[in-house]
Amino acid sequence: MNVTKDKSEKTDYPLNTIYFYLTGGCNLRCRHCWIEPKYQERGRSFPALDLDLFRSIIEQAKPLGLSSVKLTGGEPLLHPQIKEILELIRAQDLSLSIETNGLLCTPELVLKIANCKNPFVAVSLDGAEAKTHEWVRGVDGCFEDTLNGIRNLVKAGLRPQIIMTIMGRNKDQMEAVVRLAESLGVGSAKFNILQSIARGKGMYEGGEALPIEELISLGNWVENVLSASTHLRLYYSQPMAFLPLGKIFTDNGGESLICRILNILGVLSDGSYALCGIGETVPELVFGHSATDRLEDVWNNTPVYLELREGIPHRFEGVCGKCLMRGSCLGSCVAQNYSRSKNFWAGNWFCEEAYQHGLFPETRIIPKNRRTPS
Amino acid sequence: MSRLVPDKNKPVANPIVVLREEFDDWAVLFDPDTGNAFGLSPVGVFIWKRLDGSHTIENIIKELLQNCEDVPQEAEAHLKDFIQSLVEQGLAGYETQKTLGGGEKTSKTKKIQKREKQTR
Repeated sequence: MNVTKDKSEKTDYPLNTIYFYLTGGCNLRCRHCWIEPKYQERGRSFPALDLDLFRSIIEQAKPLGLSSVKLTGGEPLLHPQIKEILELIRAQDLSLSIETNGLLCTPELVLKIANCKNPFVAVSLDGAEAKTHEWVRGVDGCFEDTLNGIRNLVKAGLRPQIIMTIMGRNKDQMEAVVRLAESLGVGSAKFNILQSIARGKGMYEGGEALPIEELISLGNWVENVLSASTHLRLYYSQPMAFLPLGKIFTDNGGESLICRILNILGVLSDGSYALCGIGETVPELVFGHSATDRLEDVWNNTPVYLELREGIPHRFEGVCGKCLMRGSCLGSCVAQNYSRSKNFWAGNWFCEEAYQHGLFPETRIIPKNRRTPS
Repeated sequence: MSRLVPDKNKPVANPIVVLREEFDDWAVLFDPDTGNAFGLSPVGVFIWKRLDGSHTIENIIKELLQNCEDVPQEAEAHLKDFIQSLVEQGLAGYETQKTLGGGEKTSKTKKIQKREKQTR
């Protein structure tokens, strides 16, 4: 028996996932944060997404194809109505992903997370010991609280992912973080590369960013050596051109590193619609407000979305325009590319630097006689 | 009156498709017509190199058995599925035979079925 979907109910670009940047504040003050939330000490509070707006956005998004949400921040678990938000997500049968610093992963809250559909929690951990982690995270005592949060997640039967942003200060602790992750019982570890956005710019200026040669070398080490030494799944957030094909096509490893830019939308803590969290620091990537604009109009008619849908992947320039992986990599991170150059089609900085240094994998470049003019 | 009939026992790679082999024996297949890229496992690469219009399905299976370990019993079915997926993606086609009205074979030509270009 054939089942035919009613095309009138579907758009060509389903809005699969919404990234909710729930809070304007955070209980840590990380040196490298690309969102730059305000520091929310005990007794202070900053705006958080209105619960009625959250509900309205979900209701409007489901007919557009919504199947999952990501809660991030700031620190999403700081939201004063986080329990109601989690209950709503569960009631709507949406898959749940959370990015958190782990400090507020209490047994009670973790149970609510675990009750949602396909719960996935990523916890930031930037060092294998307190001194390094707290230097990055900017608050004394947070290391042990983060570990306790991870333990609570594991006790609830979740298999959280640890995310470590690598920089000069902590690069020598990558293996130790993997060993710590193993002992905590997590499911995977992901290494992010420091981005020159918002506070990350200061890190670059301060010499904490690693040179491209070292970033590529570390990536090779993670993929070929460190991965072989652990039962954890390891991910190194480099563009797909640098990933072994076996990892991309057999381990679902590429999937977790791809930004599905054509199927996501961001909602900022003040209720604004944006391309993603980049809207916090790049005002032209904010596309209206959930209190005044219909989501369907924003999703279907915003010029930036229309331009991206028309241009990805064939309008990519620079090395991305020559890359065999461009149809699946999608520029790695279009928001970041735009933030650096004000051009959606600019080549990704990691790939451009690698190319300029002769380190871009030759086999991932389209042969010259097979390129079509863009 | 003659007509071209695909010989489904003789698959042939689309000659415009580029194979880029890598250090770990995997490879990327790149289709310049669509801009699409596909990953090929080492076994897929082995098969791809034999899609020359002269190897039959049986020939390929025989060479697989000679050169690879732990070839499963279902290998022939897997191979046919793999080739079918290549054909559906426009990456391969079949050797064709020109027949007369009564089905008599007269000559052979290599032909890749023309497919629509993707717009995205």
